[in-house]
Amino acid sequence: MLPVDTGLSVTLSPRDGRIADVDIRSGRLVQASRLLVGKPPAQVGTILPSLYSLCGTAQGLAGAEAMEQALGLGLAPAQRTARRFLLLVETITEHAAAILRDWALLLGGPPDAAAVKPLRPLLATARRALYPQGDWARVGGGGLLPDVEALAGLMRGLSQASERGRIAATPLLDRVEAKGLGGFGVAPFRPMPENGPADLAERLAKDEDGAYVACPDYRGESLETGPLARRRDHALIAGLMARHGAGLMPRFMARLLDMAAALREAEELVQDLTEAPSGTEPPLTDGVGLSRIEAARGLLVHRVEMEKGVVRRYQILAPTEWNFHPKGAFAKGLTGVAAGSDPVFLARLLAAALDPCVTCDITVAGHA
Amino acid sequence: MCMAVPSRIIAIDNGVATVEAFGATRTTSLMLLDEEVAVGDFVILGAGGNFASEKVSAEQAAESLAYLAEVLDSGLA
Repeated sequence: MLPVDTGLSVTLSPRDGRIADVDIRSGRLVQASRLLVGKPPAQVGTILPSLYSLCGTAQGLAGAEAMEQALGLGLAPAQRTARRFLLLVETITEHAAAILRDWALLLGGPPDAAAVKPLRPLLATARRALYPQGDWARVGGGGLLPDVEALAGLMRGLSQASERGRIAATPLLDRVEAKGLGGFGVAPFRPMPENGPADLAERLAKDEDGAYVACPDYRGESLETGPLARRRDHALIAGLMARHGAGLMPRFMARLLDMAAALREAEELVQDLTEAPSGTEPPLTDGVGLSRIEAARGLLVHRVEMEKGVVRRYQILAPTEWNFHPKGAFAKGLTGVAAGSDPVFLARLLAAALDPCVTCDITVAGHA
Repeated sequence: MCMAVPSRIIAIDNGVATVEAFGATRTTSLMLLDEEVAVGDFVILGAGGNFASEKVSAEQAAESLAYLAEVLDSGLA
């Protein structure tokens, strides 16, 4: 869409019947957040969700939290609960959309349009039901005024989305099982720690040229983030990993489990949502903030340096940068595996399991 | 990461829209879009670009496109 390619281009090079090399080229605009420099919090809060609208809730809230830290602003517990709730709504709808749209396409069928269509509007419904003035991403907290009736309708929509997703997942899981692909894509599993790598703050602070946010590592290794990393201790996932390793079946099941768990948590939180006034105007002070948010696809990190109340430096590290790192879970999961008759399909399966936030074009070397 | 590029619909044929952004055109299906759209409206494409995922207002589109133009001009892409 842009005059530059903003997605991932993957080239598989088979040799002697195996995928010998996986080349991942990225055109993602990982440095784009630098242009937030010089902008006040209110403007950043408007730009982030619309610029990254596919994960706009996570981006907007990560931005608000980072700027609040930097400016030394506390947040009322009611605001924290409301933000967590909004994030869960996005997680449920993103997972449901991936299953109902992308998993169906993998099997050669059309997406379930009737089930996908209502998903995006649920995000707007949730924001409006909590923050009628639209200031849900406001630094210091927006005007929180939960609309009980709208929330009840929202919960029905989320429950329906999750149920439809669960049912729609079965054909792909059956195919994976029938073809013996449950353990496909296994590679040494390096899950992301809950709050990110231990050296996160230091690496970001030193990342003047943006090389770290484009291609992050922890002690030379790429970590994996997302549903499998955060649900790995669940009995069902641990059992599947004991059988398959970090293969397709545990990955797909972890996504389903993550969707169900997010719905359960949202159902509990919705009872606790209460009113809270919007925060005071952000102070014109200096400071550094680092927020870490578990978004649908994994750990999203925002780091901001504020000077006299405006952005002096802004960095974003997104989950796709870890999972589709040249030495990350996707590349390692494919390298050395039997190419079979359709290596592109196998690669598409693993890509769907890791769920990149951008286009992922996959070709075989010499067959492009 | 998932930059959302507002794309202007320049034609619609049987549920498939031709959209334009920064002079580049492509086709995208409208089958997963919840709202009615017409030529001249702006949509955001989902990851992959095969489906339009959301209609956005002209004001929001203009704001995002201005920022993205700045990104491209600055060489940060």
